[in-house]
Amino acid sequence: MKQIIKKFEPILNKNLNRVESFIQTRPRVNFLFGALFEAFDGLIRSSKDTAKTQPYIRNQMDIKQFMGGILVALFLGWVLPSIYFFGILCVVPKIIVSFVVGVFIVDVLWVILAKEERINEGGFVTCLFIPAFLPPQAPLWLIGVGAAVSILFRNITGGVGMNLLNPALFGRLLLTICFPTMVVTGWQEPFLGMPTIQSLTYGVDAVTHATPLLIYKETREITSYISLLFGTNTGSLGETCRVALIIAGVWLCKKRIANWRIPVAYLGSVFIFSALFFYTIGETMAPPLLQLLSGGLIFAAFFMATDPITTTYTQIGKWIFSIGCGFITVIIRNFTPIPEGVMYAILFMNLVGVPIQSIVLKIKYRA
Amino acid sequence: MGLCMAKTDKDKKVYKNGFNLFEAYPIQFSEKVETVPYDEPAEAFNFPFPDKNIAHIMVNLCPTEPWALPHVRITENNPREFFSKLDRVRTRYFGGSHCHAVISSHEIDLIKEVKEFTWHGDWLHTYLLDPIYPHDAPVLLLKKILGLHLAYGQDTRETGVLILEPQAVAEIFEHYIRGNECSTRLIPLSGTGLGENKILKVKPGTPIQAILDGNVRENITCRVFVDGPLNGSEVKDMRQRIGWTTKNIVILEERDYKTPFSFFRLNELVFTTSLMGELRRCVYCNHCDDMCPVNLEPALYWQCHTRGEKQRARLYGLEKCIECGLCSFICPSKLELLQIIKECKLADSGSRLKDETDYKKI
Ligand code: SF4
Ligand code: SF4
Repeated sequence: MKQIIKKFEPILNKNLNRVESFIQTRPRVNFLFGALFEAFDGLIRSSKDTAKTQPYIRNQMDIKQFMGGILVALFLGWVLPSIYFFGILCVVPKIIVSFVVGVFIVDVLWVILAKEERINEGGFVTCLFIPAFLPPQAPLWLIGVGAAVSILFRNITGGVGMNLLNPALFGRLLLTICFPTMVVTGWQEPFLGMPTIQSLTYGVDAVTHATPLLIYKETREITSYISLLFGTNTGSLGETCRVALIIAGVWLCKKRIANWRIPVAYLGSVFIFSALFFYTIGETMAPPLLQLLSGGLIFAAFFMATDPITTTYTQIGKWIFSIGCGFITVIIRNFTPIPEGVMYAILFMNLVGVPIQSIVLKIKYRA
Repeated sequence: MGLCMAKTDKDKKVYKNGFNLFEAYPIQFSEKVETVPYDEPAEAFNFPFPDKNIAHIMVNLCPTEPWALPHVRITENNPREFFSKLDRVRTRYFGGSHCHAVISSHEIDLIKEVKEFTWHGDWLHTYLLDPIYPHDAPVLLLKKILGLHLAYGQDTRETGVLILEPQAVAEIFEHYIRGNECSTRLIPLSGTGLGENKILKVKPGTPIQAILDGNVRENITCRVFVDGPLNGSEVKDMRQRIGWTTKNIVILEERDYKTPFSFFRLNELVFTTSLMGELRRCVYCNHCDDMCPVNLEPALYWQCHTRGEKQRARLYGLEKCIECGLCSFICPSKLELLQIIKECKLADSGSRLKDETDYKKI
C-alpha cells in the first residue's frame, strides 16, 4: 500500500500543482472552479501554511482530523450496526443520497455561488446525522430534503463556527413540521440472529412496530433493557444499537473531540430527573433506566449535544447546557404528547446557549 | 530539607494545564560533546549580580522542554559537587539566602542522592516537578514554591528571588570563585533540520552561522530558533551571536509546500514549522482552556479580537497570561492565539485616546 502511494504521489503532486497554477493564472476559470479545486485539494493535501508567529510548532490535530474522528465514530456507532439490523440496501442508499444532496450538490453550489473558499468537511458529519435519526422506512427523498435544508441552513447562518443551532437537528425539525407523519412512522423491526447474505443486503420484511417509549405510554410494558442496549428493538436507524454508540462516544471523549462533560451531565440529569418524577408522581412516568436507554437519547448525548460550535464555550456553561437538555428532554417525554423530546431539548438549549455564555462570563470574571 | 512530593497522576497532567512535550517530541542528543571552532576571543563572561537583596535562589534542574540542555551534562552525574558549588556561590555572593532546587520527579537516582545529603544544613530545599511544559516558567515556579505572586514579565529580582540557570552556577563558580577563565558554554542543538541532535561547546560570541555549518541537512529549507520554538525567537540574521544567556538552538524544517495524503504521513510533518492544517474559525472545542496553565480561556480573546474590541479582552483575565504559547500550539483551528493575546495586551497598555480618535475618523 505504502509503495503504491509512494509511486503515485509525485505524479499526483505534480499534476495538482499544474492544475493549481493553471487555475490561478486565469481569472475566469478561477471564478468558476477555483473554490472547487481548493476544496478538493484540501481533502487530499495538507496546507502549505507555516507558522509565522510564536509558537513555531503546532500540534497535528486540525479541524479535518477533528471531523474525521467524528465520522469514524459515527460509522462505528451507527452505520455498521444498522447495516446488520436493517440490511445494506436500507442503509447505504440513504447515506449516499444524504451525501450527494447535502455535500456534493448544495454545498458545492454554495461554494461556487457564494465564492466561499472551500467545502467544509463539517458537511459530511451533518449529512451522516440525517438518516440516523429518521425511521428505517423513511423514503429517500425525505432524506435528500433533510440534508439539503440542513446544509443550506448552516451556510446561510454563516457557515461552520457561526451557526447558533445544530444544522442537522434544524433540518430534522423542519422535516417534522412539514412531513409530520413520515418522521414518526415506519419503525421497522430489526433483523435478529446470525447474519446471512440475504439479511445483510435486504434486512427482514418490513414489520412495523411502535417504539419502546410509545409502548410504555400505551401499555406500561417495559421493553427488556438488554434488547434496548443491543439494539434489537425498534427505533430510528441510527439510535438503536446503544452499546456501539456508547463505545464510539467514549472513544470520542477520550480523543477529546467530544467534551466528556456533556454526555455525563446530559445522561446523568435525565436519569436523576426521571427518577425524581418516577418516584414522586408515579407510574405515568417512564422509569429512569427506560428513559436512558430509549429513543435517541444516547445518540444525541454523545454526538449531537457535543457539537462544540452550538454549545457554549465555557466549561461551566457546558454543564448548565447539558443539564438543561436533560431536564427539557424528561419534561417533553413525560408531560407532552410528543413522543421524543431530545431534538427540541437540544435545539432549545442551543438557542439559550448565548445568554448562558454571557451570564457565566459575567459571574466568572465580574465583567 | 523539605522534599515535597507532588502527588499527580501522569495522564491527567499531560492534558490538564500544560503539555508533556517530552512525549510529543522525544529528542535524543548524541553522547559526545562537540566543540565549535571559532578563532576569535569569546565574549567576556560577566554575570549581572543584582543590587537588590536576594532572599531566595532558585535552580531549575527539571527542564520541561525537550530541546533544553539535559542537566546531567552540567552535574556530570555528580550532583554532590554541583550542590557544593551552589553553596559556595551562595555563601560568597548571596549570604543568608535559601536555595530552592527543582528536580524532575522522574529522576529517581537524583532524588535518592539528594535525599542522602545530610551535610548541608537547612539552606537547600528541593522540590519535585513533573516535566510538563510550561510548569517551570518563573511565574508558576514562584507561585508554587514560594507562594509569591509575580506578574508576567516582571523581574523576579524585584521580589528578592534570583533564578539561576544550572549552567550559570557552574560558570559563576569557575569564573569568580576559582578565577579560571570561562570561555565556553554548552548549547544543545536539535530539530528536524538536522541530521543529528548534538550538544555543542560554543564560545559565546560565535555567530550562529558557524554553528549551522556542516550540521544542517542539505536540500531543505530551515528556520532557526533560539531558546525553543514555543517561547523563543526566530533568528533572521545568521550573523547574530551566541550570548552567555543563549539556552538552546532549534532548527526546524520549513514545510512550505503541500504534502499529499498528509493524514497518513503525520510523522513527516510533526516538529516542522508547518501549521498542519488550515486557518479556520474557532469551533469552541475547549482545547485551549484545557491546556492553559493559568486557567484562562483564550477563545474569548479571539472573540474580542475578531469583533474589534481588543480592550474588552482585559476583562477576561488577560494580564494573567504567561505567554507560554500552548493555546496556539494546540488549537485545531490554527488560530494565532498568542499573537492575538499580545495584540490585545498592547491595545490595552496603549492609550485609550488613540482609539477614540479612530472612532471619530469613522
Ligand atoms: S483551541 Fe482554538 S478552536 Fe478550540 S476553543 Fe480554543 S481557540 Fe477555539
Ligand atoms: S499563552 Fe497565555 S492564554 Fe495561552 S495557554 Fe499560555 S498562559 Fe494560557
